[in-house]
Amino acid sequence: MGLTGCGSWSWGRRSAGPAGFGQDNRQDPALSGNGRLLASIVERSGRDTVILQEQPSGRLLPLGPLQRQQPHRSPSLSWNGRYLAVIVQQGARRLTVIEDRSNGQLHRLPLPADSEPQRLSLAPDGRRLAIEVVRGGRSLVQMFDLSDLLEADLPGGLPTSGGGLVDGDAAPGQR
Amino acid sequence: MTLVSHLRGGRAGLAHPRLSAGGRFKPERFKLGRFNLSGFRPGRMGPVGRSLLHLGCLSLLGFGLGGCMGDMPRPMGGLDRQLEQAGSSSAPALAGRWLALIAGRGGRDQVLLVDVERGLPVPLPGLNRPDAQPLSVAVNRDGNRLVVVRQRDGQTELVLYRRELMALESIAMQPPGVPRRVSLRGDGHELAVEVSRGGLWQIDLIAIP
Repeated sequence: MGLTGCGSWSWGRRSAGPAGFGQDNRQDPALSGNGRLLASIVERSGRDTVILQEQPSGRLLPLGPLQRQQPHRSPSLSWNGRYLAVIVQQGARRLTVIEDRSNGQLHRLPLPADSEPQRLSLAPDGRRLAIEVVRGGRSLVQMFDLSDLLEADLPGGLPTSGGGLVDGDAAPGQR
Repeated sequence: MTLVSHLRGGRAGLAHPRLSAGGRFKPERFKLGRFNLSGFRPGRMGPVGRSLLHLGCLSLLGFGLGGCMGDMPRPMGGLDRQLEQAGSSSAPALAGRWLALIAGRGGRDQVLLVDVERGLPVPLPGLNRPDAQPLSVAVNRDGNRLVVVRQRDGQTELVLYRRELMALESIAMQPPGVPRRVSLRGDGHELAVEVSRGGLWQIDLIAIP
């Protein structure tokens, strides 16, 4: 590893791995804080859909209620991947939701009617959420405190396998 | 230094009026049952205000959004006001106590790094330049590493900024491609970037020493 001239790097690189959808577009990457999971958006049946993959194997992990309500955009993961936040479509409106993968619960986070979410970022510990909204034609980042809603997902916590199960056997060395 | 003074090139060390002496926010909030409503002052909310509040709850229930019995995120009013005063803001990325984002006025955007717990931006010497337009940013947990996708001289490039060293380094796309959105692992030693190649969007994972 080292510099390859002009400040350009030749560090280790790899593709995110096949998502089982051939040569489809993959967008909106989001790593969990510990780097063990990667969320991204692929097109499935003509609709943008969030998928979750274990790294580096690329194994697809199950999602709960989030498998519906496409199109999805702007996924974001907490440290161990317990929480997956994403913008979904509900009727004519976009809505920010957070799936708790340890129990399958979906938290819906309504915003004022004049604010449409565009991008979001969940703090790795799950205690804060930043949402870029468009309001009156202007992009604004708004911050929300989630500490009353979500348990913290801290480094050293158990990885979550999805479907309401805590995967105590997975990822040795991650606990 | 507030976000506004930061964007205007203000001097560090200015106190912010919305911070307590301990440097922490004192958000204005009002608890009604289990709901926290930022900005409401119970002593000033008359019968009309209470009626509007109830109407709002009923409207939310009618739209099937979980209504008042659903999850209500609590706005961080003080920081939101600062961000609003700073002009437009976009592309947020949270890690640890840090919020990285792109903010600007008059079409000139720059990367900001805000210490959320203190409500203050920190300087990023050598990162922002007038001929570069940032598109996406991510920060690691300790706030020392930022990765930025930006346009400069008609090219889109991915760069790593090490705040402690005030050093900026280019990360080449191999095979060549055009980067767009980027995400950074908590320890800052791996990034995921969306890259356009041959008409397809792909995701590369790049280890960073």
